[in-house]
Amino acid sequence: MFRLTWKNLMASKIRFALTTFGVVLAVSFVVSAFVLGDGLRRSFTDVSKDITAGIDFEVRNTADFVKPPPLPPDVVDIVAGVPAVRHAVASIEAADNAVRPITATGDEIPTSGPPQLAFNWIDDPALSAFTIVDGAPPQAGEFTIDLDSAEKYDFVIGHTYDVMVPSGRVQLTLSGTSSFGPQNATLGAVLMQMNTAQASELFGVDGIDSVAVALHDGSDPAEAQAAIAAAVTASVPTAEVVDRETVAADFASQFTTQIDLVGAILLAFGVVALVVSVFLIHNTFAIVVGQRSRELALLRTVGADPRQIRRSVLGEALAVGIIASATGIVGGIGVAKGIDALFGVMGFDLVDWPLILAPRTIVAAVVLGIGVTLTAAIGPARRAATVSPMVLLSGTTSSSGRHVSRRRALTGAAFIATGAALAAGGAAVNGAFPVGVGAILLFAGVTMLSPMAVGPVTRVLGWPLGRVATVTGRMAQRNAARNPRRSASTSAALMIGLAVVAIAMIAAESVKASIGSTLADSAKAEYYLSDELDEVAFPAEVVGETLGLAGVDAATGFTPLEVRIDDTVTEVIGFDFDQIDALLDVDVRAGAFDSDVSSPVVVSAGEAARRGLVVGDTVTITSPAGITMATTVAGTFGDQSVLTEDYLVDTRVLQALGAPVAPEWLAISVADDARPVDVQHLLDTLESRFPYAALETAAQFEERVAGEIDDALTMVNMMVALAVAIALIGIANTLALSVFERTHELGLVRAVGMSRRQVRRMVRYEAGLLGSFGATVGVGLGIGIGIAAVHTFPSDVATQVAVPWDRLGLLIVIATTAAVVSAWFAARRAGRLDVLDAIAH
Amino acid sequence: MTLLHTTTSNTTAQVAASVRDAVKHYGHDDTQVTALDHVDIDFEAGAFTAIMGPSGSGKSTLMHAMAGLDRLTSGSIVVGDVDVTSASEHELTRLRRDHLGFVFQAFNLVPTLTAIENITLPMDLAGRSPDRSWIDHVVATVGLSHRLRHRPSELSGGQQQRVAVARALAGRPSVIFADEPTGNLDSTTGSEILDFMRHAVRELGQTIVMVTHDPLAASYTNRVVFLADGRITGQLDQPTPDTVLDQMRRLGN
Repeated sequence: MFRLTWKNLMASKIRFALTTFGVVLAVSFVVSAFVLGDGLRRSFTDVSKDITAGIDFEVRNTADFVKPPPLPPDVVDIVAGVPAVRHAVASIEAADNAVRPITATGDEIPTSGPPQLAFNWIDDPALSAFTIVDGAPPQAGEFTIDLDSAEKYDFVIGHTYDVMVPSGRVQLTLSGTSSFGPQNATLGAVLMQMNTAQASELFGVDGIDSVAVALHDGSDPAEAQAAIAAAVTASVPTAEVVDRETVAADFASQFTTQIDLVGAILLAFGVVALVVSVFLIHNTFAIVVGQRSRELALLRTVGADPRQIRRSVLGEALAVGIIASATGIVGGIGVAKGIDALFGVMGFDLVDWPLILAPRTIVAAVVLGIGVTLTAAIGPARRAATVSPMVLLSGTTSSSGRHVSRRRALTGAAFIATGAALAAGGAAVNGAFPVGVGAILLFAGVTMLSPMAVGPVTRVLGWPLGRVATVTGRMAQRNAARNPRRSASTSAALMIGLAVVAIAMIAAESVKASIGSTLADSAKAEYYLSDELDEVAFPAEVVGETLGLAGVDAATGFTPLEVRIDDTVTEVIGFDFDQIDALLDVDVRAGAFDSDVSSPVVVSAGEAARRGLVVGDTVTITSPAGITMATTVAGTFGDQSVLTEDYLVDTRVLQALGAPVAPEWLAISVADDARPVDVQHLLDTLESRFPYAALETAAQFEERVAGEIDDALTMVNMMVALAVAIALIGIANTLALSVFERTHELGLVRAVGMSRRQVRRMVRYEAGLLGSFGATVGVGLGIGIGIAAVHTFPSDVATQVAVPWDRLGLLIVIATTAAVVSAWFAARRAGRLDVLDAIAH
Repeated sequence: MTLLHTTTSNTTAQVAASVRDAVKHYGHDDTQVTALDHVDIDFEAGAFTAIMGPSGSGKSTLMHAMAGLDRLTSGSIVVGDVDVTSASEHELTRLRRDHLGFVFQAFNLVPTLTAIENITLPMDLAGRSPDRSWIDHVVATVGLSHRLRHRPSELSGGQQQRVAVARALAGRPSVIFADEPTGNLDSTTGSEILDFMRHAVRELGQTIVMVTHDPLAASYTNRVVFLADGRITGQLDQPTPDTVLDQMRRLGN
């Protein structure tokens, strides 16, 4: 039987290649995720070990805030005073992109790529992650930059450059180039160093980030750690002392989270390819078994038992799976290398990584490739085994797959009903979980029932076709509806792909529309100043200066701060209460932004309801600086779409909590009677002071956010493109096999007068109908699920549902057209059939 | 050759199809087979003609060549006013659609189309609207009026062949080619079909050329042409089963 299996495979190499294509892609993505992840993780672990080699301990602030607050600078002296300590140095690191060098040509290095980071220079080579390659360490008025960035952006030692820092622009001279670890493993980031005094002055860090500690040789590490901890916590109770391994692990984890993200995306691609491939493989095997029913019947009459037949089909699937797995492993290494190259193109130069083909990777590839193929072939194999020897005598080919069993219909209907109820119910109560479960049930139910829908739906979709091309259109529609299960599973892959993209499009459109209407409702200020680089704050004085300009009616900065309220860490936002009414309408429900109340806080209506807070109640806030104060509820507000935080505090409260006023963005309102020249002066002033910040009107802001949302959609679109490509291969495959199956019939219609062109058209129309069936059902399903999903979005993300009908319609048209194109080969083959041979078939 | 011309039953009859010096070889060199060996023959309009001969005599090749389904090695064939031998693929398609009818031995119908859709298929392909009263007449004659909305799978073998004959007649073609049209039917159903074909020639004025090896079927025709080894070996007017068998025996089959 094995020889027969193999011969069957080799007899149809193209079909075989098409069938395996999806599985090969799926396995490749999974393998690449593992290979890239394993290799990079090994590299980064090595890098982390290198750069932490000389450190014995690190002292840092542990407060349970996401961004630990800085330590006071005198901690260095406290640590240095511990007898076992040979050397203790402060390390200070600027926020990502807070310090950015300007090239000699006056250009800023693009911030869309890897981050630009600045560190204080540590003179002790044992404690520093950096070494000088050329030139000298930075003195006052100087800086150093990593050698790869120096080369890439043409920074020359001895030359003076502008450097953007949080407080503005300074001029510094490049004293040398440095290397981060032996390999300068920057991943494309720009790494700058300045001496410690200058770093404290320019980085905008209020204190120091940590203290690196080296012990005297021969001192007992455990004792030393205890001694340092005792000395430091006496001054800063929240500080902790961690060993080298922890530092290295924490350092490596900064990178591994990024690697894991890339790996997760690759795995997602793999899963998408896999799901779609199951349909493709199942379909191919089902059709092939149907075509071979006479041959199988012959085998049965000459003595093959059903089990042998089943094994023969499964053997064929096994061979497909083995070859697909093997090809996928090789392909996966290729994909990993390709992604490495792609990162390089985007500016993220990855470190050299070893090619690690872990046993886990091989097992995953083999289990996926073979498992999926075998699973998909079980149904067809079982059907093949039940082919009666009578088929040979009666000449009737198996008619299985024509009807949906009652049980399947009922299960499908139950799935759809439950799924729809869950999705609708979930949407009503903002429950993401029921909507998710409902969506999966809907997908399953629709997939089960779609064979019943193929006939009616293609009749409707084919109606215009029947107007234009009466016979060929009608015959194409009948052909599409001829074997509903085959048609349904052929278009199922397309259906799932397009449903996903429809959901993503509706979500994105709704978010955009919500932002638009929110800004229209609540944005009263004319201008908004924000730095494109999120983590960079503006200096506190800028608000006062802006208010001092002619024509400015109101202005305030918005400063976020992480605090603890009743044992919960949350973010509050601080701004000037006396300015806000002219700038933003956040739908005040009770009280007011009353700056006369002592330590006023305004609470969101939702939070107030949850905690039973009313105007006049007291809320206790603890800041990272360790200050605890009682604030008074001055009011409640309802619209959280612009200010998403639950607690809004006055700038003075922020200051009382010991937090620096460092606004992330500003809102500026211009007086109604302001002279155009004053407005122009205002804009010019802000622009020249912050050349890299964005000064936008509400409409421009909305446009920019919309653009960012569209960028985020790119990944989803790529994933869908992959699914659709595999789905189209499925359509091409099904039609090629259908054309083969209908050879006699095609000969007949040619004999009675169908032209070659009409034959080609008929096949293409059928492909178009299959494509539009999958696309229409998919988009329809996507619209339903998408609307339910948007209802579960938090109110600061989306407050309304928007369905981009025009683009969804276009999506159906594109999918249909692509399906027609995919049938090109099948149509050509059908058109070229020799009439006599075909009739004799 | 002259024999054939002088002995036609009606010398003034119009010619529906004429074959001149038709030669057809299959294969090359050593394996070359001659299917038609300088065949000359006319098929008159309004007649029911049978082509008989043993397997490999070239009878099917002759019919396929006349229908434009197969190309001659040399010689010429004119059907109606179309020179089949020099026509392009496109012209042949139009010829088949507009001027020829076909009845095959089996699997004559498109399974996805109903009986009436199968009958009007050639006209629909041509984009012509069918002659309703003629179609009604044909359908009534075939006795299919109540089965028109059925799919082929819901019809008996005899009914399927009747639909096939009705389709061949529907466009009032110059010639209908029938390839063993009763080969798959029991004798009673077969004679119904043959009766009907004879009726179509006598009463409806159609021209039918039928390939068969069944003397009984041949006896329904006006004339039988005998082929052997690619050559015409004889012919018989107003045949009966006995005279056909007689002739076959005489020709050494």
